[in-house]
Amino acid sequence: MIENLKAATFEVLETMFFIFPESLEEANTLFHGPGLRAWVPVEGPKNFRVGLTLSVSLAREMAANFLGVEKDEVLPDRMEDVVKETANMVAGSFLRREEAPETFNLKPPMAQPMDLDAEIWKENAHHVLLAVEDSGIEVFLDKSQ
Amino acid sequence: MMAYNVLIVDDSATMRALVRKVLNIAGLELGECFEGANGREALVILENNWIDLVLSDLHMPEMDGAALVKALRQNKMWQTIPVVLITTEGRQEVLAPFFKSGIQGYIRKPFRPEDIKEQLHTILGEAWIPNDRELEGCDF
Repeated sequence: MIENLKAATFEVLETMFFIFPESLEEANTLFHGPGLRAWVPVEGPKNFRVGLTLSVSLAREMAANFLGVEKDEVLPDRMEDVVKETANMVAGSFLRREEAPETFNLKPPMAQPMDLDAEIWKENAHHVLLAVEDSGIEVFLDKSQ
Repeated sequence: MMAYNVLIVDDSATMRALVRKVLNIAGLELGECFEGANGREALVILENNWIDLVLSDLHMPEMDGAALVKALRQNKMWQTIPVVLITTEGRQEVLAPFFKSGIQGYIRKPFRPEDIKEQLHTILGEAWIPNDRELEGCDF
């Protein structure tokens, strides 16, 4: 399951953003400053969330790549929209890879700002930590819904 | 050469902007490009404009892509308008009913600009103006 989540993330970041994340042991040390978390609720026989967390600076870079504009031209709402859309695409790719039945439905993505320094970053069975140069990306599967 | 009026339906303004950009660089003879954030907004645009092609997301609030496709196919004025879904949905059992209801194709997100180009080429055929040079190395 976690491998499919990781593969879905790589597919989205590489195809849409030309970002090539790496699995690094020290990825947990790369989460600093203001961040954004976006997730997609998945409803069905079991409810869960698929989401990702990243720094505002990386989100801005992704939005600039996505829209073909300079980083300082990216508006905050566009940045949040890009992160939400990224979570949406990761969730869709994940469900396809898991061959989830049609009774599982993606709901509209949501997002919230975060202080990345206030969290403890650990990889486990439901959390993947990836590195993009000097920034971290967390991808998660939250079954506590 | 006929210019095509395209309607892009997606609740993400960013995704609409991206699709519009890809259409602009992909070589399609674009007329007007309209945008709606859901099926309901799309129907209002369809009521007031001549639309030649609809590119629609599936999962949207208020009125989703499924309801939009149904409304289009039930209306004599709109039932022949080509519809292409651009969606995160990739499960064939979810998409199969849409093909039965007459959509012309689907593009799964994440997509490359070439994916949109190929789909539109298939649907619009001779109206397509190949423009490979501009797509090469396109980084959105």
